[in-house]
Amino acid sequence: MLLSNLEVVPHKKIVRHLGLVQGSTVRAKHAGRDIMAGLKNLVGGELKGYTELLQDAREEATGRMVEQANAIGANAVLNIRYATSSVASGASELFAYGTAVELED
Amino acid sequence: MEKKKPDLSNPEIPEGINASDEHPLKEFFWLLIGITVFAALVIGALSLSAGWLAQKIPFEYETQLADHFPDVESGDSSNEARIAERLQGIADRLSVEQNLPEGMHITVHYSDSDVVNAFATLGGNIVIFRGLIEALPSEDALAMVIAHEIAHIKHRHPIRALGRGVTIGISFAAIFGMSGSSAGDRVLGEIGLLTALSFSRTQERAADETALRALVNVYGHGNGAIELFDTFSELEQTRFSEPEVLRTHPQSLDRLAALNDQAEKKGWRMNGESLPMPQVLLEHK
Amino acid sequence: MEWMLQYFEIFFALCLLIVGYGFGRLAEKRHYKSIFKREKKYQELLVFSLKTPPEGLTVTDSRLVTGSVVVSIDYFKKFVAGLRMLVGGRLRSYETLVDRGRREAVLRMKEQALLLHADSVINVKVETSSISKGRRNSIGSIEVCAYGTALKHA
Repeated sequence: MLLSNLEVVPHKKIVRHLGLVQGSTVRAKHAGRDIMAGLKNLVGGELKGYTELLQDAREEATGRMVEQANAIGANAVLNIRYATSSVASGASELFAYGTAVELED
Repeated sequence: MEKKKPDLSNPEIPEGINASDEHPLKEFFWLLIGITVFAALVIGALSLSAGWLAQKIPFEYETQLADHFPDVESGDSSNEARIAERLQGIADRLSVEQNLPEGMHITVHYSDSDVVNAFATLGGNIVIFRGLIEALPSEDALAMVIAHEIAHIKHRHPIRALGRGVTIGISFAAIFGMSGSSAGDRVLGEIGLLTALSFSRTQERAADETALRALVNVYGHGNGAIELFDTFSELEQTRFSEPEVLRTHPQSLDRLAALNDQAEKKGWRMNGESLPMPQVLLEHK
Repeated sequence: MEWMLQYFEIFFALCLLIVGYGFGRLAEKRHYKSIFKREKKYQELLVFSLKTPPEGLTVTDSRLVTGSVVVSIDYFKKFVAGLRMLVGGRLRSYETLVDRGRREAVLRMKEQALLLHADSVINVKVETSSISKGRRNSIGSIEVCAYGTALKHA
């Protein structure tokens, strides 16, 4: 599966356009991490726990998008965009979407 | 140049990728059970240690915590003041026998209410309700109640209950403050409070034993305890709801049996003639 | 009766949970049913997130179309999510919420495009925002907005 946020893949032709595919997940860290992050907020710096949380979530969202693309017979997803929103305090939502296409070999 | 029409389509995407089909109740019950067990363990451990730590608090601080109790002015000749004075007299004799630690003193308060209850609270304060005095047959039985409440204070039970209560309250606030769920906050906080504000069975038994020792030393026999628990077990049978004082207490007859065993071991006399209830205690108005 | 008054708070919350569960589940089922139905119905209208029209397509008309929806989570799901946040991990109850919101928003965008007799919508973007975030203890609700350019093919 080829993933790209370009519109076109250089040197490859798009054979079929298969439409919008999307993947999303909502995740939360356990309460202990929330406390640690709160403490870390006092001194600033990177919140490792949350970086990890969002990283995991982004991977999962991408994975789900790819799963959708696979299911409809695509071999690439182009023009991928990511969006983050916090649905509830302490939980974050990761959303990935793009256009599934079939590229020529 | 030939213009080829692009191949465009929107095939149907299968369900269950972004939202799973699992029954929501399954997750609910697993989470509820898991968290309840975990919270019970943690809070249990915390409250035990808080209770243990609380009894290390000097009694003077406890008194300061509780100094909102109104003092009865000396020279007040109302019946209430006379009753409180008489109760204080009984308590003083019993406290001497209980070898209270240095600086600990008992103050008895009288409350004009029908409730059949008495309780010990922070700062060595004991409250006796009119309903209780009227329900009891003799001075000995009343003395047993007072001795029991003094024993609670001697063993520092009120401050330990407070320590436990505060810990449990804070734990719940912390846990459910973080989850941001008002429902969880309300439901579990309520349950936490209900379990916190009472003495445990073991504490009751310990208080019973200490009380009986004092009773026997002052009155020469333990008949007051027999009369007290007989009265309570009668009340248990005749009323639909238990009298307030019994709610957290072990069944009266069980407690009496435990005390009889104790008396036999220590060689205390249980049977004897009880003193009648002093007339002054019954003259409310 | 006496115990009921004593445990009123618990009882009340429990009632809310049951009501939330029952109606929430019913509403979700209905919503999904209607989403499936309409997705099938509008399948002819194509949706892409590419910025430019596919190569070789002759376009006769283009117009901006939007669709948005605000969906809220029910009491039961919020309770489950609250428990889940203590443990961490995937919040399933919110996942169905955002899934529903997103698909509904895209469907509404499609409906608007159909009114224009369009054949496809390109450069589709989907935005999500939570509108009741500031207040604690408020029921979580999200707004999803989908927009794109509707095209009329030759």
